[in-house]
Amino acid sequence: MEQFFTQLTNGLAVGGIYALIALGYTMVYGVLKLINFAHGDLFTIGAYLGLTLLTSLALTDHIGGIAGVILLAVMAMGLVGIIGILLDRAAYKPLRTSPRLSAVVSALGASIVLSNTIMLVYGPSTRVYPQGLLPGQVFYIFGLPVPVMRFVILGASIALMIGLYVFIQRTKIGTAIRAAAIDQDAARLMGINVDRVIMLVFFIGPALGGAAGVMVGLYYGQITFTMGWIYGLKAFTAAILGGIGNIPGAMVGGLLLGVIEALGATYISMAWKDAIAFFVLILILIVRPTGLLGERVAEKI
Amino acid sequence: MKHAAGQIKKPAYAVIILLWLIAPLFIGKYWTDVLNNVAIYALLGLSLNIILGYGGMFHMGHAAFYAIGAYTTAIINTAWGVPVLWLMPLAGLAAGLFALVVARPIIHLRGDYLLIVTIGMVEIVRIALINNVFGITGGANGIFGISSPTIFGFQINGIVAPAHYFYLVTAFLAITIVLFYLLENSRFGRALKFLCSDEVAAEGSGINTAGYKLAAFVIGAVWAGMTGTLYASKMGFISPESFSFWESVVMFMIVILGGSGNIAGVLLGAALIIGLPEIFQGLQQYRLLIFGLALMIMMIFRPQGILPPKPRSYPIGKLEKNEVSL
Amino acid sequence: MKKLLFLLLAGIVAATTAPALAQDTIKIGLMCPLTGSWAAEGKDMKQIVELLADQVNNQGGLLGKEVKVVIGDDGGDPRTAALAAQRMATRDVAAVVGTYGSSITEASQNIYASANIIQVANGSTAVRLTEKGLPYFFRTCPRDDEQGRVAVKTLLDSGYENIAILHDNTTYAKGLADEAKKLLDKKDVNIVFFDALTPGEQDYGTILSKMKTKDPDVVFFTGYYPEAGLMLRQKMEKGWDVPFIGGDATNNPDLVKIAGNKAAEGFRFLSPPVPGDLPTKEAREFLDAYKARYQTTPGSIWAVLAGDGFRVIVEAIKQTQSTDTQKMADYLHDEMEGFPGLTGDIAFNEKGDRIGDVYRVYRVDADGNFVLME
Repeated sequence: MEQFFTQLTNGLAVGGIYALIALGYTMVYGVLKLINFAHGDLFTIGAYLGLTLLTSLALTDHIGGIAGVILLAVMAMGLVGIIGILLDRAAYKPLRTSPRLSAVVSALGASIVLSNTIMLVYGPSTRVYPQGLLPGQVFYIFGLPVPVMRFVILGASIALMIGLYVFIQRTKIGTAIRAAAIDQDAARLMGINVDRVIMLVFFIGPALGGAAGVMVGLYYGQITFTMGWIYGLKAFTAAILGGIGNIPGAMVGGLLLGVIEALGATYISMAWKDAIAFFVLILILIVRPTGLLGERVAEKI
Repeated sequence: MKHAAGQIKKPAYAVIILLWLIAPLFIGKYWTDVLNNVAIYALLGLSLNIILGYGGMFHMGHAAFYAIGAYTTAIINTAWGVPVLWLMPLAGLAAGLFALVVARPIIHLRGDYLLIVTIGMVEIVRIALINNVFGITGGANGIFGISSPTIFGFQINGIVAPAHYFYLVTAFLAITIVLFYLLENSRFGRALKFLCSDEVAAEGSGINTAGYKLAAFVIGAVWAGMTGTLYASKMGFISPESFSFWESVVMFMIVILGGSGNIAGVLLGAALIIGLPEIFQGLQQYRLLIFGLALMIMMIFRPQGILPPKPRSYPIGKLEKNEVSL
Repeated sequence: MKKLLFLLLAGIVAATTAPALAQDTIKIGLMCPLTGSWAAEGKDMKQIVELLADQVNNQGGLLGKEVKVVIGDDGGDPRTAALAAQRMATRDVAAVVGTYGSSITEASQNIYASANIIQVANGSTAVRLTEKGLPYFFRTCPRDDEQGRVAVKTLLDSGYENIAILHDNTTYAKGLADEAKKLLDKKDVNIVFFDALTPGEQDYGTILSKMKTKDPDVVFFTGYYPEAGLMLRQKMEKGWDVPFIGGDATNNPDLVKIAGNKAAEGFRFLSPPVPGDLPTKEAREFLDAYKARYQTTPGSIWAVLAGDGFRVIVEAIKQTQSTDTQKMADYLHDEMEGFPGLTGDIAFNEKGDRIGDVYRVYRVDADGNFVLME
């Protein structure tokens, strides 16, 4: 039983990261119906930019501790958000009126370009974040040691998600985004500047991914240019699991995927961990394509 | 006018075919091996073309079928010594069966979701191979000691004599091109292309869309499986690294960039994607970057590929002779 | 379309009729993964070999001629490696160093053999590579069975009875794990855990928790340093203080950076000696030169082994006063003894394997230094 709870907490911890990245996927998908393959690479860029900012600006030396970390995260988010907008301009905007396959292929191309650019700029070796920036205390829950940072990450993910949800549901701009997600043309007729909305979505989504990247870098300590691939795919699975286009769904999906992976790896086998995640993805799409909280993705005529 | 256009084409094709056939005599082992690789990827591209080009199904898991064919060959050959060429149909069958089982539940998914599922599929296959599923795949080390193909006792060793291998794989490629050309213009091919452009109308015309799509998957898989045999017997050993998602991406690029739905386009795609990096060795590091950019740019400016399929043309004379009543 | 095809043909013609290179150089090939998943190894290999070549040239060259390094990219993939080997075989090289990854090396072995080119592999530890009777194949890296033997001896000498073995499903790590398991099965110990983690994943909480329930006395991890570093740190966070022993893939200065000094302290690993621990002049000079040029110490032990591969080839050419393959091979097999390498003394047996007790046990101290244990 202790094993079960331990693995549960492990799963929730990783799930928080998946959830944060999944939020970005789901936002873009909601409005554009596009799977942004490059999203995982935006997450990676966030991690690398965070490293660069940290080492070149020596933020924490000047500002110190938690404030420095938060400032770092915010700066990285901003930069990645801008890159997100540029990505849209370069790869997706010209294909707004083309068939969906073109945009997806372009997304794949963009993903390859981004990850290889990171490799060429930063070198192929894994890079290491400076240590000791985060508090390392350990809490004990039911006698199990859980590092405080895991709570912080989970908490931050939830906070960002709630913030996003409130933004989407309660503000005027949020309503505009929701309208565009339902029907772009109708939204245009209502006087909504859909292009602006899309730009905003491509800022927020990637920014969240960037935040996740910085968190991963700070917490785990090392980053590689191939991180985006597996995190991206898992986050995508999480988004589908929860119901793509659905923000609380991304959160639920992320946490659930983390837990399923952890428990599956524990009770079946560690070496098949990724296969379990992919299997969940395929299963969900076959059995319940709407996801747990969301919309239809299969067209059966 | 149309006849004139046709006449320009044929001599060009003839020249290319002739050059291809005599190439190994002049270009040395290395370049012959490059052409061998082009041929193998051309086969893979053609098999994917049936699913992606004619059927319009976004399939990024083609490496899985390739892997199954290669591994089936490797396992049976190393365990029971069955000559590899005899195993080709068996490998194709194994891949085809796998495709049948796996594609059936996902065939109705919408485009981009089918794409993701196929990615998941190829990764699961790769992980299964690495984990030595059922104890027969040799794990990360793969399987070695695969025999070379022998034809009437003449051994074709792909490693030391790429030229011999060249003619073997060219022969298979030629057969494939002919068969696929016939398929393209057969009733099956036409139905597939129809449902690709408008599924609702196709279903309304009485075409069993699910059945045709599944058949396309299976045929593509069978051919990829057989190509797997050729690859396994050329290398002498196989390991899971050769069957990753990125291999699928390469095959996908060959079809999309070359000309989705057009045999000549796919051949050109294979030649470019495999051949160009060898010519421009200095840019090796940027190879993937260039491909990524190529994908993006092509989608914006020429999404149908370099050589898009031409609409079928019917000489008026013929129609008048065999007048078809409506 | 026709233009493209003609361009293609022209390209092929141009490339194949490239003018023959000047005759006053000796070319030594280096096949390494410059692209692909092992790009980090390839980069290190290239840096080391290029540095060594420059050193040779600065001291007057080899047999009076300039040494030129011809680099081929094997892409970390057997198919690309086979092509790269075919290409290398046309480049008139005296010998080839490389490569990293047993299946990758295997793809190129027969090609070099049939072209009568000596190949000195640096990062391919699968036992079968030297069991094929290839007369011109050598390797400066030890084999999985040797490292397995030393690992088992270390584990037994420390008195552990319940052992957990963890690998990452790569050919290298699994090979080593299998060898260790094979030997341990014959002894009076329990292997309480044998499984693989997924590299690149970063969060190893799940697998650490799972291992913990089996209560091992020690964990033998055969994978790479990023994962080792993360696991050391995460295990400390969980409050678990089981000792970890690693294989030579964990030998990298970044290990301590990732784990943090506190978590890394006490970690032991096996490795051929690194240049910094060798008393020889060559090792010291090499290390200084490397630091001066690249501002860091060499990252991976296999890249250093590539450097040794290069040096034995240079030595063979020097001693036989020729680049004749058979003469060089004979020298390497029969006459080379105790050649001072960057990783210790080097000599080869008739199979091409490196002989001698290569492995040492290292320990990480409280300041994060790698200390040789005796």
